[in-house]
Amino acid sequence: MTTLRIKGGRVIDPANAIDAERDVWIEDGRVIAGPSDPAARADRTIDASGYVVMPGGVDMHCHIAGSKVNAARAFRPEDKTGHIARTGHSRSGTTGSVPTTFATGYKYAGLGYTTAVDAAIAPFGARHAHHEFRDTPAIDKAFLVLMGNNHYVMDRIREGDRDRLRQYVAWLLNATGAYGVKAVNPGGVERWKEGHGNVSSLDQMVEGFGVTPRQILTELARAADDLAIPHPIHVHGPNLGLPGNFASTLETLAALDGHRAHLAHIQFHSYGGSLDKPGKIDSQVPILADYINTHRNLTVDVGQVVFGDTTSMTADGAVGQFLHSVTGRKWISQDIEQETGCGVVPITYENTNLVHALQWAIGLEWYLRVDDPWRIAMSTDHPNGGSFLAYPQIISYLMSRNHRDEALKALPDRVRARSGLADLSREYSLSEIAIITRAGPARMLGMTSKGHLGPGADGDVTIYAPSNDFQRMFSLPRFVIKSGHVVIDDGELRSPPDGTTLSVSPSYDESIVPDIAEWFDENASIRFANFAWQEGDAPSHFGSLP
Amino acid sequence: MPDADRTIADATCTACGCLCDDIVLTVSNHRIVAAEHACPIGAAWFLADHGPGDRPIATIEGQPATAEQALGRAAEILAKSRSPLIVGLTRTSLETQARAVAIADRLGAAIDPGDSGDSLPRWRAIQRVGIVSATLGEVKNRADVIVFWGVDPITTHPRHLERYSVGPRGRFVPEGRAGRTVVVVDVAPTATSAVADRFVRIVADEQGEVLATLRALVLGVEMPEAEDPVRELAETLKTARYGAFFFGPDLGRSRGGEAVVEDALKLVRDLNHATRFVALTLGGPGNPSGAEAVLTWQAGSPRAVDFSAGFPQFLPDDATAEAMLSQGRADAVLIVADDPTGFLSGEARAHLGRIPTIVIGPDATSRDATVALGSATMGIHSGGTIMRCDGATLPLRPALATTRPSDLEWLTDLERRLTEIPGEPRAISP
Repeated sequence: MTTLRIKGGRVIDPANAIDAERDVWIEDGRVIAGPSDPAARADRTIDASGYVVMPGGVDMHCHIAGSKVNAARAFRPEDKTGHIARTGHSRSGTTGSVPTTFATGYKYAGLGYTTAVDAAIAPFGARHAHHEFRDTPAIDKAFLVLMGNNHYVMDRIREGDRDRLRQYVAWLLNATGAYGVKAVNPGGVERWKEGHGNVSSLDQMVEGFGVTPRQILTELARAADDLAIPHPIHVHGPNLGLPGNFASTLETLAALDGHRAHLAHIQFHSYGGSLDKPGKIDSQVPILADYINTHRNLTVDVGQVVFGDTTSMTADGAVGQFLHSVTGRKWISQDIEQETGCGVVPITYENTNLVHALQWAIGLEWYLRVDDPWRIAMSTDHPNGGSFLAYPQIISYLMSRNHRDEALKALPDRVRARSGLADLSREYSLSEIAIITRAGPARMLGMTSKGHLGPGADGDVTIYAPSNDFQRMFSLPRFVIKSGHVVIDDGELRSPPDGTTLSVSPSYDESIVPDIAEWFDENASIRFANFAWQEGDAPSHFGSLP
Repeated sequence: MPDADRTIADATCTACGCLCDDIVLTVSNHRIVAAEHACPIGAAWFLADHGPGDRPIATIEGQPATAEQALGRAAEILAKSRSPLIVGLTRTSLETQARAVAIADRLGAAIDPGDSGDSLPRWRAIQRVGIVSATLGEVKNRADVIVFWGVDPITTHPRHLERYSVGPRGRFVPEGRAGRTVVVVDVAPTATSAVADRFVRIVADEQGEVLATLRALVLGVEMPEAEDPVRELAETLKTARYGAFFFGPDLGRSRGGEAVVEDALKLVRDLNHATRFVALTLGGPGNPSGAEAVLTWQAGSPRAVDFSAGFPQFLPDDATAEAMLSQGRADAVLIVADDPTGFLSGEARAHLGRIPTIVIGPDATSRDATVALGSATMGIHSGGTIMRCDGATLPLRPALATTRPSDLEWLTDLERRLTEIPGEPRAISP
């Protein structure tokens, strides 16, 4: 038994309604109730007097592993803008918008984040993603598996066979070692792949399958609810990034009535104007945020845009082609059998560009217009809107209206006419920041041992030196502790643990497997027997939820 | 006592880039005696004698040695080296490749899997324009036009047509072969062109011009000089519902190199203005795509990575196996699970003969090496994961037992010894 005492810090633990000076005790990697004997000694004590103590950060929507991320690394040598050097206890790597695996783990830890969820892994790419997770140290990892354009899913929905659909969803979560269900542009990617163009409404038929995006969305939401998996359906709606898309976003939100659901990178789905008049693009956050505020079944993450060069990557193949056509930059597209597409395009968000500046303002509007911080999570949709390393900058915009207004002044004038950001006076408190960066996302993910510091929680803790310079405060944690081990000490990386990969294993009726196998062997390019991820494929790096 | 016969289903063949994973192996008396579904190339691979024969487990300077002695010497060579190079890596698992990159990182070595002459032009082109591609199951289910450009899969990848590209009935190609138009473009008729619907003959050094002309025609540019077969081909490409363009390493080796690959990738990309089209390679034997993937996720680039600065740098002109050896810059070489001498230049091979070499592989102890470590054979004796050229991953199902360590075990031991040598981590050279 090893014990760690974090002594005397200001503990901000909103999940347990705590904002007070107190000790946090960790034993064998988990938070425990402090001993009643005040003279009790721990194996190690960190004096946190004067510091702010929070649970480790939780990124619920990012892209850090698997084929699309690796394609981005390989095809962007010009993105290797920095590096991490090897030490006696850590590996080297490259940084930039798409860091290597080891660099990703170290950089997240350096930021005070101890959990990250890759939000889009194709079933076919699951094993590859697990291999990358094995090489992503210092943080716990999980991924959501893509199902919104899955042929077996669409066939069962057309047949109205809810039971087999639910069994398949459960089987696929097990077979891929996934944490949750993701739907990317349901039906739209399949239409685009087969050359029919994207979908324009939830009721458009998906050729060859006889189902609509609305049916896919609601039936997958129902399956996730019925299976009672910890995280509900995680939705990337149609028409991402297109002017006028707020209408289909509203339609999507309404379609999910009666189900739990999480809407990803909602910033990219909140635009007025129209495809005919893209110049008329404006913010439609007020109407959408109002909908979120009044529908407690829904949560969102933002997908904040930050200015600079980054790499867009999406399972929404149509979006990849759209970005290539509007930017003229190089483009990787990969159609992946049975399920999905993949688009990767470099993108540079410029504060002199009206659309980019408006996207920036729309993201911040979202944080400020959703009343309940438990229902909105911080994300840049890393690396799509920008790197996760921009979180401290975003925090400072949320905590300081002055800072925000200064940034707004540097943008084109028309941004103020098309976004209400300048009128919003709200400033986040430290406790609210703790909610949107750890407690809230952990709750949305259903990770009951994360995002808080009550007894039984994972010993993942970040200790900050308080400062009025919020960007600096959140960029350079004083200590970061993962599973009870000090990983970062004043910016220095200590010997990091491997971290664990989290997955769910809902039960299903084994009698469905022969049917799946028959379909798989007829349609796939590998054998069914060689598809499922085995825990032994990456020993010692795999864990299930308690 | 002979083993009772047993069968292993769904085994993966690594003899060519198809990586067929439907092989049914029969094992009898420590040998694979049948490989059902395998093509002649695959059957020859599985049925070969993979036993170590009378080869020693390890050698030093050609003399039999114990594993301990050989590992000690190997670690000593690498620890002393100022400019080590790690090559090979195509005929081993993702797991082994990951360990090799870890060792390169520790040593500050250059690492370059397989033959960069084959693959760098493709990567350079992808780094310039990207690639619109797909997994083979998408080709099987969707593609109605198949172009084999300068490749002859019937000869080199015998089951490609049957499994992936031409024969299968697919969801959107229910007629199978009858639902697909197959075009072969090559410098001379091939076994594949004999079963194609159309053969277009080209001159090797004019491929770039033909590809650029096709792209212009696809984009609606008037090309009065274009010859009829090229015009007709452009029409076939444009009217595909979902086309698949297969190309091979020879395209990057033709006159113009990576620019010619770029022309091909741009042609396929721009066909997507009006229809769907994807570009794919056929893949190489073993696990070359896996080596590129592992190197990319750990070091940021698919090939030619130099760790000598203490962090990875992509140095496509300087850190290839060929450049490091032919320019005399490597002072020790670790060769894992492959024999690079087949593609190296005379100068590079000559330098290889002048510096200490550590070879790990099934036949290592019968090759020229300062230290040779005989290993199990991937996919026959040892397992792990491999990656197909389209990113699909496959678990191996080794059929035979062996007394030889796997290359992963050799590398893991070697890495442990390197950590035990005093002075680690080595000073980073300026």
